[in-house]
Amino acid sequence: MTPDAINRLVAQLARLPGVGEKTAQRLAFHLLRTPDLARGLSNALVEVVDRVKLCPVCFSLHDGPEASRCGFCTDGRREDRLLCVVEGISDEMAIERTREFRGRYHVLHGVLSPLEGIGPEQLRIKELLTRLQAAAVEEIIVATNPDVEGEATALYLTRLLKPMGLKVSRLAQGIPMGGDLEYADQATLARALSSRREL
Amino acid sequence: MSLAIVDEALVLSTIDYGEADRIVTLFTRGRGRLSAFAAGARKSKRRFAGALEAGTHLRAQLVERRGEVFRLDGADIVQSFHRLRDDLPRIARLMYCLELIRELTRDQEPHTQLFDGLRDYLQKLDAKEAGPTSLLLFELDALAQAGFMPSFAPCALCGEPTGERPRFDPSHGGVLCLPCSTRVAGGFPVSAQVVEALSRLQAGERTPLPAETRARARELLNVFIAHHLGRKLNSVDFMEQVGTD
Repeated sequence: MTPDAINRLVAQLARLPGVGEKTAQRLAFHLLRTPDLARGLSNALVEVVDRVKLCPVCFSLHDGPEASRCGFCTDGRREDRLLCVVEGISDEMAIERTREFRGRYHVLHGVLSPLEGIGPEQLRIKELLTRLQAAAVEEIIVATNPDVEGEATALYLTRLLKPMGLKVSRLAQGIPMGGDLEYADQATLARALSSRREL
Repeated sequence: MSLAIVDEALVLSTIDYGEADRIVTLFTRGRGRLSAFAAGARKSKRRFAGALEAGTHLRAQLVERRGEVFRLDGADIVQSFHRLRDDLPRIARLMYCLELIRELTRDQEPHTQLFDGLRDYLQKLDAKEAGPTSLLLFELDALAQAGFMPSFAPCALCGEPTGERPRFDPSHGGVLCLPCSTRVAGGFPVSAQVVEALSRLQAGERTPLPAETRARARELLNVFIAHHLGRKLNSVDFMEQVGTD
């Protein structure tokens, strides 16, 4: 009979996205065989839950003191006039990896999803508008994904931000670097053509 | 035993599965609504390049697996309807009609005419040829195809004209005349003008309705659809939030 502690661990691991019962079992037995890894993981999990919180300005993550701002918001070398709006933390990290963007961020924590019943009040849109009243932002770069939900969110934000006299831009869309025209879909090619640039 | 099929399909919705996969809900022409597993759909730029976006018209290569969801092996885009993504009200209407079809239909019950109706409506929406009245027309047609045709005239119970003070009662199939509505409890008063407008649309008239009549007609259909589905459609709120009908 499997000990209850292992059953509980398997049940918890199986709740993770993309982890099924079998994978959870394999992970549990691996952790049992490597006590150092298990203890390190356990400490890291507790630390993440206890210390990581949302920045009250941009809603990115940070592990500083309660109510303090994140590194992106406190970095004096970043440009206040540029603000990049992203769906989630992973998108913020992707843009940061480019080393091209030196402005500030605002994380929406999702996109408008009519089919799932996710509307503007479930996103950090109200906080964005409040933030803009006090900030010296000149341009908002809407970096939501180029899918239907991402486009809907970008258009909705544009409706709110344009009347505030702000410049609103959208990430360019088209053929990816190293991509194949042959494999590009109709919509991507059409966007690439309409957003073509002069050489 | 698995069976390979190729069918025309419209993408109703997708949900992410695991690290790289997606489960796609398709409305196919030959087999109606079905769910298909699209392996690697989130990572591979080539396999399903842009094909699994909501509303896309595809030629889908599917494999039917006994007791499991279908497997989507490939998808060629017939029409992506990408132009409608430049406009918020049109996105709202797209999402609304996709949710309506997803909820009105059942797995593997073919509705060829409903498929053609949705495809034609999306083509018009994409070409900016479908206004708010076209959406009402599409809904009335979809409800009729799915077996939920609301009756606007004559009275759904006695068959007599609904008169000047009609009431709408979804549990009795539509509009009732005053004598019938007093006999059966329930329902609510509705304007005779709105009833007449919906009745004309149902009869095939294509004249655009004034905004006020459209708004009342929309309320009526929302109540009717929510009654039959057991819940309000999620995208109705979005339509209201973006100020479209």
